[in-house]
Amino acid sequence: MTNHAGRLYALALGLVVFFLAWAVVAARPWATAAPDPRLKALAAREAQLQQEAKLVNQIVAQRAQLAHVTQSRQLASAVAAPAPVQVVNLPPLTITRTS
Amino acid sequence: MERRTFHAMGTEIELLVDAEGAERALDAAEGEFHRLEALLSRFRDDSELSRLNRDGSIDAGPDLERVVALALEARERTGGRFDPTVYDALVAAGYDRTFEQLPADGDVASSRPAAGQVRLYGGRIELDPGVHLDLGGIGKGYAAERSAELLATAGPCLVNAGGDIAIRGGSWPVGVESLTLQLGGGGLATSGRDRRRWQRSGRELHHLIDPSTGEPAETDLLRVTVVAADAVDAEVAAKALFLAGSTRAAAEADAQETPAVLVTDDGRMLLAGGLA
Repeated sequence: MTNHAGRLYALALGLVVFFLAWAVVAARPWATAAPDPRLKALAAREAQLQQEAKLVNQIVAQRAQLAHVTQSRQLASAVAAPAPVQVVNLPPLTITRTS
Repeated sequence: MERRTFHAMGTEIELLVDAEGAERALDAAEGEFHRLEALLSRFRDDSELSRLNRDGSIDAGPDLERVVALALEARERTGGRFDPTVYDALVAAGYDRTFEQLPADGDVASSRPAAGQVRLYGGRIELDPGVHLDLGGIGKGYAAERSAELLATAGPCLVNAGGDIAIRGGSWPVGVESLTLQLGGGGLATSGRDRRRWQRSGRELHHLIDPSTGEPAETDLLRVTVVAADAVDAEVAAKALFLAGSTRAAAEADAQETPAVLVTDDGRMLLAGGLA
């Protein structure tokens, strides 16, 4: 009777050990987890956006430089073209003074 | 002819328009001065300029952005004789509140030359640490031009912002020293050290700071009046010529064909840049 119960316990224990071992092997802890494809897509999108942002910054800087040059030229041409002025013998309508 | 005078930007403003029934245009032109003063004054804590000086950067509105761009352009064009970063030098010299509020005398702090980078990215303005801007040397000219744009909707006009004059259409006799200049457009401005003077530690100071020293400019000139393409250019050129001194200023005005009236501190009046 005692031997019979012992065998049953041993069998049960063996089954438990077997299933535990199977679960451990099935989990393949030695294999690295495959990356989530959604994370991969997100990282790719981030890299693409960063690249596009760099291009946008370059374009903005080029346009700002162009605007600066254009403005400088406009100012230079404005300075080069003095307003018409002459000394006259008329009473002034207004006077200038130190501002 | 209609005329209106009022006080703004620490000076008397005069609007002249050759038209009848120009009330709305006059109102708009006057309102423009008050609007720009609220944005550009360094004496108002809530102005855009004060926020920029306090925070070191700002997403500026179009007027502050434009005036700062013009000031930086002027700094480059004048080789630094005009520089908007003279704020700290002005404050060190004692000009730390509106001229009307300045005490008769007081201590003077140590000055330092104007310097530092100002960066413009579209509407974003960024200042180097410790850099502050004063737009008093260009703001009135800009406001006169903007105001004249609005007033010109009624007819030919002249806007005189305490000596900084913008003209749109018509022909206007303007008194400069003992002369009358007939102006057919553009702008005119006078800079000098005969007004906005004060004392610190018993020393006489004025508001025309030499950016290279951070001190009130020492030249043999008392006043300079310049005629240019607009009031902003005239204001910048007048300050740059003032700092140059009479000999160099006359030579520069002649070389650039910039009509100028120079008054030396001994009272001599020199005409340059094609004026005769």
